[in-house]
Amino acid sequence: MKIRIKLLAHYQQYLPPDCSSSSYEADVPPDARVEDVLAGLPVPVEESVVLVNGRTPQPGQALQEGDVLCLFPAIGGG
Amino acid sequence: MYGWNGRILRVNLTTGETSVEEVDPRIARDFIGGRGWAIRYLYNEMDPRVDPLSPENKLVFSTGPLTATPVPTGNRYMVTTKSPLTGAISCSNSGGFFPTEMKRTGFDLFIFEGRAERPVYLWVNDDRVELRPADHLWGRTVFETEDMLRAETDPRARVACIGPAGERLAPIAAILNDKHRAAARSGVGAVMGSKNLKAVVVRGTRRIPLARPDELKALADQVVEEVKQAVAAGKATLRTYGTAYVPPVTNEVGILPTYNFRTGVFAGAEAISGRTLNQKYLVRPKACYGCPIACGRVTRVEDPIFGGEGEGPEYETIGSLGSACGVDNLAAITKANYICNELGLDTISAGVTIACAMEMYELGLIPESDIGRPLRFGDAEAVVEMVRLAGLREGFGDLIAQGSYRLASHYGHPEFSMSAKKQEFPAYDPRGAKGMGLLYATSNIGASHMAGDTAYMEVFGVPKKVDPLSWEDKPRLVKYFEDIFTIIDAAGLCVFLSIRYLFEPTYNVEPVRISRLMEYATGAGYDEETLLKAGERVYNLERMFLVRAGFSRADDTLPPRMLHEPMPEGPAKGHVVELDRMLPEYYRLRGWDENGVPTPEKLAELGLL
Repeated sequence: MKIRIKLLAHYQQYLPPDCSSSSYEADVPPDARVEDVLAGLPVPVEESVVLVNGRTPQPGQALQEGDVLCLFPAIGGG
Repeated sequence: MYGWNGRILRVNLTTGETSVEEVDPRIARDFIGGRGWAIRYLYNEMDPRVDPLSPENKLVFSTGPLTATPVPTGNRYMVTTKSPLTGAISCSNSGGFFPTEMKRTGFDLFIFEGRAERPVYLWVNDDRVELRPADHLWGRTVFETEDMLRAETDPRARVACIGPAGERLAPIAAILNDKHRAAARSGVGAVMGSKNLKAVVVRGTRRIPLARPDELKALADQVVEEVKQAVAAGKATLRTYGTAYVPPVTNEVGILPTYNFRTGVFAGAEAISGRTLNQKYLVRPKACYGCPIACGRVTRVEDPIFGGEGEGPEYETIGSLGSACGVDNLAAITKANYICNELGLDTISAGVTIACAMEMYELGLIPESDIGRPLRFGDAEAVVEMVRLAGLREGFGDLIAQGSYRLASHYGHPEFSMSAKKQEFPAYDPRGAKGMGLLYATSNIGASHMAGDTAYMEVFGVPKKVDPLSWEDKPRLVKYFEDIFTIIDAAGLCVFLSIRYLFEPTYNVEPVRISRLMEYATGAGYDEETLLKAGERVYNLERMFLVRAGFSRADDTLPPRMLHEPMPEGPAKGHVVELDRMLPEYYRLRGWDENGVPTPEKLAELGLL
């Protein structure tokens, strides 16, 4: 199924080279959980804030078609 | 004394006399410094009910024990006074280079009393103190003023001054230092203007003695090394983007202020982000004195209408003058920021007040003839024109300069002012970050993020992430963050480094390293417990100032939109701020009665009785 992966702040260096916005479409297995997709990303997840559709995911949360999985560094300030 | 200079300068502007006073070491220790010393002096010396623009108000500039030491980001000062915007206390903070220079004169704190008959400026050159005429500077912009003052005092001197906005007593006027850094909130610039004090110029060469210098240097170096490693690993978000990285983040969480806080989702979030700033207008990053982070932005806009150069914009400016006004033109936002710095205005209050006027105009509540032009959401040129008029208090700008509450009340609808205690909200919609809602309502200075920024945990995941939409856990979080931010302010440090590197990276955010730095600097007997207690002491004394000024639970509130209008879209859709459920628990944790007044038991516990 298709989800969108959105990377913000300096994680944008990990976006696909042809990506002009801050997110890209990704194909994942229909029963994929958030942790499964995170494991495959080059981003340091343990230093990140992870959101699904802008909200904090539950542990073991399964993804759904069209979900937006967003990551940004836990830096803070503004 | 170590860490502190232990001396304050008292300036009577009415008589023109200045005097030096020693500081009692127990008061120094019990109130930490900076913001803490300021309230201790003000509470003991002035009536909290005075008119803020009268000679009876007192104005304090104060550095902390860690200012001008080897501690990274030990470069901040606080401006404390009774606010003409809120009627409560104001604690406006700034960095740059002025605070370090001020500390090096050998004075920790300046206290200004009375009113000068003619415009003056204070020139402190180590221990030589002079009040000099400033007629030739009156009416000049912040940038002109600084250039002229350095030429007539010392090219290495540092300057804090007001622009036309402060001279004309705008309740949202700021005090600018080093041209582009601002003690911005709560109209502190107007208090300075009401005293005919145009500027404070400092040149200092004192080295601050430290109690345990080798241990302080070792810990300071360790922290700097950790920051450098983050930079080397490509993880320096603030250096790369500045705080401008935030709009897409708050937009993703659904709390980026949009259309006067009607909603928290803005289609133009990317257009006003740090990535766009880098592509179009960034010249280079900039650091304050002794800072390894370098979140500052030196920028230049080349544009027929919005051209200019200077520093910024910061996230708060982008949220307030940008998305809150429906404006996605980063050149315009940047230009408006330059104008606010030049004329000496708080960008947050300016932007949120313009947004308020835009909403009311679109609803037909403000006649166009009053404004002189249409004022619709999204009109970038209008935002730039409005800040210029506000900075000069000309035309409709005279109302904008008074802040959104007075503007909205003038037209019979105060409910459109997104403010608490009449101070405009910073750029986090509290319906999607409930801790921020409780913070805005309870803060001693009115709505502010810097009074205890729970957004660090609710949004940014620093040190850990909490759910922004829960409310049950927020009274404890807000109380704790208010106390630790008080400590950071009073110590003279910048939050960006402190919250990340000087507190335990756990949910409990313990002040481990900051306590050690305070002890190595001062030798005054600080540990985590005494430091936390001192922070709580300062916070409670500020609250007592408010109580005596006439504030009560009735003022710890939010606009109806935040309490009763559910967020219409985005991840926080359907949410309001459950303030009436959080407030009683917050008061209980604070040790205050149900009217928000510190109990005698609490005051006794803190040694304030």
